[in-house]
Amino acid sequence: MTWREKLRLHKSNPLAALYPSSKLLVVLLYSFCTMLIGTIKVGAGHYPLWLIPWFLVVPVLCAASGIFKRFCHAFTKVLAIVVIIFVVQSLLIPDKVVVWQLGFLKVYQSGLQSAIYLSFCILNIAGIFVWMFQTTEYKEMSRALEDSGMDYKAAYVFISTLQMINILGKNSRTIMNAQRARGVETQGNMLVRAKAFFPSLVPLILGAITNSEERVLTLESKGFDVKCKKTHLFELERTGKEPVVNVISIIITLAVVVWRVALWVL
Amino acid sequence: MGAVIELKNVTYSYPLTDTPALKDFSCTIEEGKFYGVIGSNGAGKTTLCSLIRGFAPDFFKGELSGDVLVYGKPTSEYAPGELSLKIGYVFQNPFNQISGVKDTLFEEVAFGLENFGVPVDEIEERVTRVMELTNITDLAEKNPFELSGGQQQRVALASIIVLEPDILVIDEPTSQLDPEGTESVFKIIKAMKEQKKTIILVEHKIDLIAEYADEVLVLHEGELIRSGDKQQVLSDMSLLEKGVQLPQMAILGSRLIQQGLPLSYVPITEAQGAQVIGQAMQKGRV
Repeated sequence: MTWREKLRLHKSNPLAALYPSSKLLVVLLYSFCTMLIGTIKVGAGHYPLWLIPWFLVVPVLCAASGIFKRFCHAFTKVLAIVVIIFVVQSLLIPDKVVVWQLGFLKVYQSGLQSAIYLSFCILNIAGIFVWMFQTTEYKEMSRALEDSGMDYKAAYVFISTLQMINILGKNSRTIMNAQRARGVETQGNMLVRAKAFFPSLVPLILGAITNSEERVLTLESKGFDVKCKKTHLFELERTGKEPVVNVISIIITLAVVVWRVALWVL
Repeated sequence: MGAVIELKNVTYSYPLTDTPALKDFSCTIEEGKFYGVIGSNGAGKTTLCSLIRGFAPDFFKGELSGDVLVYGKPTSEYAPGELSLKIGYVFQNPFNQISGVKDTLFEEVAFGLENFGVPVDEIEERVTRVMELTNITDLAEKNPFELSGGQQQRVALASIIVLEPDILVIDEPTSQLDPEGTESVFKIIKAMKEQKKTIILVEHKIDLIAEYADEVLVLHEGELIRSGDKQQVLSDMSLLEKGVQLPQMAILGSRLIQQGLPLSYVPITEAQGAQVIGQAMQKGRV
């Protein structure tokens, strides 16, 4: 087996193996449908309730792509933010109609409307992006970006930024340990952690800046700037199912649009 | 053998500094020779490498007077990337020499070749060969960021060697290596020398310079204080006063001569030491 074949990704799951541009289309159309469905108001309270069943699509899609565990992991993180947004929105937007009251806390109707709309829009859109990024490797994305005509330099910036997140995380742990060894307290209550913030953040950022200088030189010594057609060791294959997926997602989007328009007209 | 690199009265200062990093520096690098560059920290060794590679002053800015010529042409007149096929430059810090966009080591080593648009079949063949030479074939499928410092250093060397430049500028390639790893890096460099490449190596491990290099350049506070054949330079005891490290064997040899042991010359490597001291002792016995 040649190295080129070894480096190629062999994904058994047909959904995860889709070409990145096809996944991007799904993500964009799904986000568009989410916005549209958010404008459909249900019942006497005019709540955008359809967003809630619509959200079921994301976990089902993730389960079908074989990444349900990773989805749950990411979902719990998004959920914490969404809950905060939901509470703040529902309590802070005043209106004439009070839906629910506990002592001095009042939940107004327009607050609840806005809370449902915002929190489920975020859940839906963040969820579909989680699906795309968890099923696609960085190198697939960069290859697809370059193939779609993006400048290789821009593609490099995009991918190295994504990879840098992991590396900065590792570096920050190293710096934290170093600062702890010098007596900076990094564990404890909020105040203690806040005090440790600057002594650990400043070296992290300054280090990243000086490192980037050397990385520029590395790229230069490896001929990154040479004007010629680049070759690629990594080959990205289409599964052949992309047109089907594209057509299905376009049909669903059209159906949502027709539904929305029909509700307006009727 | 012709000159491939020439520095003529070069004085260079980094931006925002008052004292120049290199002062009135002149030297000629000849084709196919192995040059060891030694000197204390801050003596200007890395600056010399950057100047030869053209990073100074093009990238670092700063002030340059005098000429830095590579194949008779000033470095600043080369197009971007043009010098990378002529001069391979391996930096000190192996961590920053990882491209940051590849997730296997095989692709990392291939990165430079991809940039030059080398056909894929040839990339595969060349990368496989260089990985065997540098002994990293076992790591081929690992993530480059997850390697140890020593492994990263070998990767850094491999990803430059694979470009097959005629001149190699290597800045402290063994700073993170154990003795065994150091030896293996020097074996790689020796193999490069056998391929008739010109090598400029900055290194603190003086015994290895004595063993492998042809010529030695000694830098001190931005000046070239001594240069020439390693045998002459490394047996010059006056360099010790300037804080330059010399091989243990050379120090031993010159002390023995002072004590009256008739050595035919000052040895700089173990093999030479064993030879001349052995000869002198036999003579003494007779």
